[in-house]
Amino acid sequence: MFDTLIHQFWSLTFSGLALGFIYVLIAMGYTMVYGVLRMINFANSEIFTVGAFATMIVSKYVFDFSTEMIPPSNLKLVFVILCCLAASMLASGFLAFLVELVAYRHLRNRTSNRIAPLISAIGIGIVISEIVRILTRARTQFSPNIIPKKVLFTFQGGEIRLDNTVTILAGLVLFIILERFIKLSRLGKGIRAVSMDEDSAKLMGVNLNRVISLTFILGGLMTGAAGFFYVNVYENVKYNMGFSLGLAAFTAAVIGGIGNIRGAFFGGISLGLVEIYASAIVGTQWKPVTVFIILILILLFKPNGIFGEAIQKTRV
Amino acid sequence: MSTTILNLKDLTIKFGGVTALNSVNLELKEGEILALIGPNGAGKTTVFNLITGVYKPTSGNVFLGEVAIDGKKRHQITKLGIARTFQNIRLFGDMTTLENVITASDVRNKVGLVGSMFGTPRSRREEKASVAKAHEILKFIGIDEYADRLAKNLPYGVQRRLEIARALGTEPKILLLDEPAAGFNPQEKVELAATIKKIRDAGYTILLIEHDMSLIMGISDRVAVLDFGQKIADDLPSVVQNDPQVIAAYLGVPADAS
Amino acid sequence: MINLRDKGAEFWERSNRPVRVLTVLVTLGVIACLPYAGNTFLQTPIAAFDAVLVYPMGIFILMALGLNVVVGKSGLLDLGYVAFFAVGAYTMALLSTHTHMNTWEIMPFGIAAAMIAGLLLAIPTLRLRGDYLAIVTLGFGEIVRVSALNSESIGGALGIAGIPFPPGLGFEYQLLDQKAFYWTVLFMILIVIWIFRRLSVRRPGRAWESIRQDEDAAELMGVSTYKYKIWAFVFGASIGGAAGVFYASRSMVIAPDNFTLNTSILILACVVFGGMGNIWGVIVGAAILGYLPDRFRFLSDARLLLFGLVLVIFMNLRPEGILPRKKREKAIVKKGLGV
Repeated sequence: MFDTLIHQFWSLTFSGLALGFIYVLIAMGYTMVYGVLRMINFANSEIFTVGAFATMIVSKYVFDFSTEMIPPSNLKLVFVILCCLAASMLASGFLAFLVELVAYRHLRNRTSNRIAPLISAIGIGIVISEIVRILTRARTQFSPNIIPKKVLFTFQGGEIRLDNTVTILAGLVLFIILERFIKLSRLGKGIRAVSMDEDSAKLMGVNLNRVISLTFILGGLMTGAAGFFYVNVYENVKYNMGFSLGLAAFTAAVIGGIGNIRGAFFGGISLGLVEIYASAIVGTQWKPVTVFIILILILLFKPNGIFGEAIQKTRV
Repeated sequence: MSTTILNLKDLTIKFGGVTALNSVNLELKEGEILALIGPNGAGKTTVFNLITGVYKPTSGNVFLGEVAIDGKKRHQITKLGIARTFQNIRLFGDMTTLENVITASDVRNKVGLVGSMFGTPRSRREEKASVAKAHEILKFIGIDEYADRLAKNLPYGVQRRLEIARALGTEPKILLLDEPAAGFNPQEKVELAATIKKIRDAGYTILLIEHDMSLIMGISDRVAVLDFGQKIADDLPSVVQNDPQVIAAYLGVPADAS
Repeated sequence: MINLRDKGAEFWERSNRPVRVLTVLVTLGVIACLPYAGNTFLQTPIAAFDAVLVYPMGIFILMALGLNVVVGKSGLLDLGYVAFFAVGAYTMALLSTHTHMNTWEIMPFGIAAAMIAGLLLAIPTLRLRGDYLAIVTLGFGEIVRVSALNSESIGGALGIAGIPFPPGLGFEYQLLDQKAFYWTVLFMILIVIWIFRRLSVRRPGRAWESIRQDEDAAELMGVSTYKYKIWAFVFGASIGGAAGVFYASRSMVIAPDNFTLNTSILILACVVFGGMGNIWGVIVGAAILGYLPDRFRFLSDARLLLFGLVLVIFMNLRPEGILPRKKREKAIVKKGLGV
C-alpha cells in the first residue's frame, strides 16, 4: 500500500505541490471575499470552470493547438501561454465582478436577509454550469497540451516535470504579488481595513463598494489563473469540474483560517500534498466525501482554522 | 436601604490587545433608575453585552442576587429577569407590533412544539393570555393603536417605544435601556422620561445608557460614569454633574448633542 | 395589478363560516378531480398527466412544505434536504424487502429514521453560521448519497428493487392509473398544511420567524434559538422522510442516483419561487415548477437551468415570491387607522 508513496515520493510531492498551488489560487477567491463580506462566494467554483474553459478555448480555437501536434518554438509558446493565462484571468475576473454586482451587492443593500445573497450566488453558479453542460453536452472536453510535460530532471528516482514546476513557480509568484499588493497598496489597505472593521473603514473614507468589487475581481483573477494551470496539468475540462475543486479549495481556506490569506496558502499546499499522497495509498473513490468530512470536522472542532478568526462572532 | 439586585464585580473584558472594560464595579439597587454615561467608546454597551450574556468577561463576575450569571446562555439570562433594548433598533420587522411583544412573552410560557401542534387546552389558554398581556403592555407604553401594523412600517418614535414594550414582554425584573431617546426631539424626550418613570413606578429596576444630560438628570436616582473602560464616578446626579474628573472627560458636551 | 393573495384573503375575511366551508370543499373537489383533466391542454407529452401530478408535482409540494419550515420560515439554509428524502425511501425499500410490513406500517419508521438523521445533523451543526450551515448540509447530502453508492449491502449503485405498492383500502394502487397515489399524496399534503398552520400561529411559528429575522435579538428576548432551530430541522426532516417512503413505494425501484444534490436545489427553488415562509406560495410554486418541465419538452433537459434562473431572478427581483402578502397593511388601512 505504501510502496507507491515511497518509490515515487518526489514526483508525487511535486504533483502535490502543483495541485496545492492550484488550490491556493482558488482559495484566494473564497478567503478574500469572506474577509470583506463575511460571506462565502458560492459562485467561485464556476468562476474557476469558466477560467479553465477560457484556456482550453483560446489554445484550441485561437491558436489551433491540437492534442497531437508538434509544439511550436519557444518564443511562440511563451506568447501562447501568456495569452491563455491572460484570457483565463480576465474571463474569471470579469465574471467575479458580475457575480458581486448581481448576487451580493444588489442584495446586500436591499435586504437584511443574510441568506439571500448566498441563494442568488448558488443560482448563478448553477446557471453557468448548466449552460456549459448544455453547450458541451455534458461531455469532457480534452485540451491540447500547452506547457510541455517535459521531464526536467530526475531527483531521487522521481521525475520533475516542466508543467508542475511552472505551476509551482508561477503560483508562488502570483501569490506573492497578491500578498504584497494587499499589504502595500492603497487599495490593498482598504481591503484590509474593511475586513477588520467595516464601519471604521467607511468613516475613514474608504469606498466600500469599490473595495468589495476589487476584492471579488482579485479573487477572480487568481481563480482564473488556477484554471489555466489546471488545464495545463490535467488537460481536460468538464462542466462540473468546479464543484470538487472549489470545495477542496474552500476547505483549504477554512483549514488556514478563513479570511486569512497566508493561512489559505498553508491550507492549500497541505491539502494538495495530502490529497496526492493519500490517493497513492488508498485510491480515489471516496475522495469527494473525504474532503467534506475533513471540512465538517474542522468546522465543528476547530472553526478558527489554524491561523484564523472566530467565525461565530456575534455582532451586537 | 434597598437591596442590590445586580452586582458587577471587578468586571474586565479584553478583546485582543484592547481592554474594553477594566475592573468595573457597579451595584444596581432594586427599584432605582441608574444612568450609565460616558463618552463614545467608553464601554457602556459593552457593559450591557456582558450583563445579557453576549460577551463573557475575561475576569470578574456579574451577580444577579447571589447567582453569578456571566457564562449563562442568553435566553437563560432573559428568563432570570433581565431584558434589554438596542442602540440600533432590532425589532422583528416582518411581524406586527403585537407579535413582537407576544414573541418576547413566550419565554414565560410552558407550552412547546408538541403542545402547539396538538392544540392542547393549555396551549389555547396560554395563547389567549399572551395576546391579552401583550395588549396591556402596548397600552401601558401608549402604542396599542399600532398593534396590527408591521413593525418595519412604524414611525421611528413608535419603533423605539416598541423596543421597550417588547423587552417588558419578557416580564423582567431589570430593564436595560440602550439610548432609548436617540433621535428624539425635545417633546418626545419629555414623554419618554415620563414613560421611564412610569415603568419604574410599576416595580421595575432600570439601567439606562443615554447621552442627553437633561433627560438623565431629570429622572435618574444615581449616575455612573465610564471613561476608557473604567468607572470614574458613581453618585447622585447633582454630585456627578459637578465632579471635575467627569467634566473633564465628558461634560464639555452640551445637552442634546445629537 | 390584481394581487391574487389579497383578493383571496379579503374574500375569506368577509365570508361567514358556511361560505368558508363551501369554498374549501369546492376547491378540494376541483383539485381532487385534476387527474381527469389529463386530455386537456394540461396534457404532458412525456409522462402521463396523472403520473406527473404525483411525481414530480405532489412530491415536490410535500418536500417544499418541509423545506419551507427550515429555509423559508426559520432562515436556515439547508442544501442537503434530499438526504432526509433518501433516508425515508431507503427505509421503505429495506423494510419492505426484508420483512412483511406494508407501506403504512413502514411509514412511521421512515419518518422516525429521517427525524433521527435530522437530529444527528442538527445537533453539531446548528451552532454554525448561515453560510457554513449551507456547506455542511450540502456535504451531508452528498455523504449520504455516496455512502449509499458505495454500500453493497443496500444495493450499491443499482439500488433496491421490488418495493411493493401500498396496500389498497378498498381500491388498488396501480401503475397505469395513478389516481389512488394522487389522492394519497393530496391527503398527506393536507395533513402537513394543517399541522404547519397550527404551529405557525403559535409559539413555534413566532420563534422560527424571530430566528429568521434577527437570531441574536430573538435569543436576547428569551427565545431558545438552539432548541427551535433543531425543531425546525427535525420537523422538516420528518416531512422529507414521509415523502421518501411514499416515493419508494410508488417507484418500485430506488437507487442513489435518485437522491442527488440537484433535487435539494430543485426543492429550494420551489421555496424561493413561492416566497420564503409563505405556505400558499410554496404550494403553488412547487406545483408550477414541478409541472412545467414535463409540459414543455424544451424545458425538460434544461430543468436545472430553469431552477437556477428562478433562484437568481426571484431572490433579486421578487423575494416575496409569486404570491406576495400585502394583506396585513391593507387590512389596517381598511380599518381606517390611516396612521
